Amino acid sequence: MEAIKTGGLTRRYGKLEALRGVDLTVSEGSVYGLVGPNGAGKTTLIRALVGTLRPSDGEVRVLGLNPLKDRAKLRRRIGYMPQSPALYEDLSARDNVEFFGAAHRPPDLREKVDEVLELVDLTDRARDPVHKLSGGMKRRVSLACALVHRPEVMFLDEPTAAVDPQLRSRLWKTFRQLASGGATLFVSTHLMDEALLCDGISILRKGRIVAADSPHNILEKGKTRLAVSRNGNSEEQIVGSRPEDLAAALQPYGLEPGVKGVEIRPDSLETVILSLVEREDAG
Amino acid sequence: MRRTFTVARRVVRQLLHNRRFLALSIVAPLVIVYFLKLFFDTMPAGFDVARYAVPVAAFLVHFLAFLLCAIVLVQERTAGTMERMFINGFRRAEIIGGYVLGYLSLATFQAVVALAEVLWLFELDYDSGTLTTLFVVVWLLAIASVMLGIFISTFARHEGQVFPFVPLIIVPSVFLSGLLVDVDLLPTWAERLGHVFPLFYANNVIQEVILPNGTLVDVWGNLVVLAGYSVALLLLASRTLPEVE
Repeated sequence: MEAIKTGGLTRRYGKLEALRGVDLTVSEGSVYGLVGPNGAGKTTLIRALVGTLRPSDGEVRVLGLNPLKDRAKLRRRIGYMPQSPALYEDLSARDNVEFFGAAHRPPDLREKVDEVLELVDLTDRARDPVHKLSGGMKRRVSLACALVHRPEVMFLDEPTAAVDPQLRSRLWKTFRQLASGGATLFVSTHLMDEALLCDGISILRKGRIVAADSPHNILEKGKTRLAVSRNGNSEEQIVGSRPEDLAAALQPYGLEPGVKGVEIRPDSLETVILSLVEREDAG
Repeated sequence: MRRTFTVARRVVRQLLHNRRFLALSIVAPLVIVYFLKLFFDTMPAGFDVARYAVPVAAFLVHFLAFLLCAIVLVQERTAGTMERMFINGFRRAEIIGGYVLGYLSLATFQAVVALAEVLWLFELDYDSGTLTTLFVVVWLLAIASVMLGIFISTFARHEGQVFPFVPLIIVPSVFLSGLLVDVDLLPTWAERLGHVFPLFYANNVIQEVILPNGTLVDVWGNLVVLAGYSVALLLLASRTLPEVE
């Protein structure tokens, strides 16, 4: 079943088209990445999905509901972590999580707050005012606010921006943990190594989806540099990145004793994405 | 209703945690009233202090309640917490209601403290009925001011955009609401324009009840208008507070 589906989603600000006919399908229980440079339209798309931005054109469905018309029903089932921390700095981490959680009126709010603070590893600092926390901790509080009511779909806008690699790795472990529990995570990022951790990705460029597939399939759209050292000579060729392309390229060498080394250097996801973007720009 | 109280509780908790803000919003009117006392002490004997002192206290509460509420609400928008509240399921009426309840506690405290200081500093002696009326009118004005702050905040994208509304709404009310001169002495158009400001109605009640033979009977309609002003602004704000861009 699809957790998120858009068709021809367009948003204009005057003459500027921030989103240009975005078609997107995200299945339930997956971690889906929205990859794109700053200003590509990632936040605009997320805001249209959570129902705080009215599309100029096109269709949006989240869990089969219209984010604008069915917002009362939908908002119980989604969580949103904005790019900025969006927290009350004078209040404690716990007060913030409790306040946003209270909007959903869960009967066991206290237990849920305790659990989510433990999940983001903030139990020890829960009573500290947010302004005393580090940037990374604030992001974790913000994440806890988005998760406290156990939403079915979570929209995380650049959740790992400006956080250290250790925390980033911990956050991604948490995302995976949540997805394995059946939740759908829609994560925007401009970091290509994070895109590799997703089940599916869409590459957004100037408001348009340039490519949408699994990271593995997108990698296969790239090229591989194959270098073979044989009888003292080095032969280099560029081949496709699909397994069958590599097999075909290596076939002529067989198991010849003269082959002393084989170096296979596939394009990185970043290179593949950049080439897709260039191809898109060239029309 | 429960979510309205949740917002109100959070607003009050925030105010209590922000001691500098809280102290400033209480101390500022006290200091200004004291300066007013110094100023009035220079006036010749027989100068009618009461005619100005209580309305000025009312004006200070009006101005501060408007400004603080408008700025804090705009901050909610710029910090992204307003959007987050909406996405978490809080409704417009619940957010506005919560703010009114939260700020009302501050405005009530401001009204009590400012009035008490004016009465003490200027040695004004009123019976309990007059004191109650004075408190009610300042309190109603404070509610209208909170509503006005909420309403105006919907037109500002950042805190700085609140300030142009001060010379537009607050400053003219000083001259046109009868605070400094009797509105009957103003040109007709200016007198009519004065009716737009909530301070006009509050001042009408104050000027009447502080007279030795003053009675609420002649001016109670002003209290109704003041309350109506709050309801109208509440309705307007609940329509203009942007939930979807």
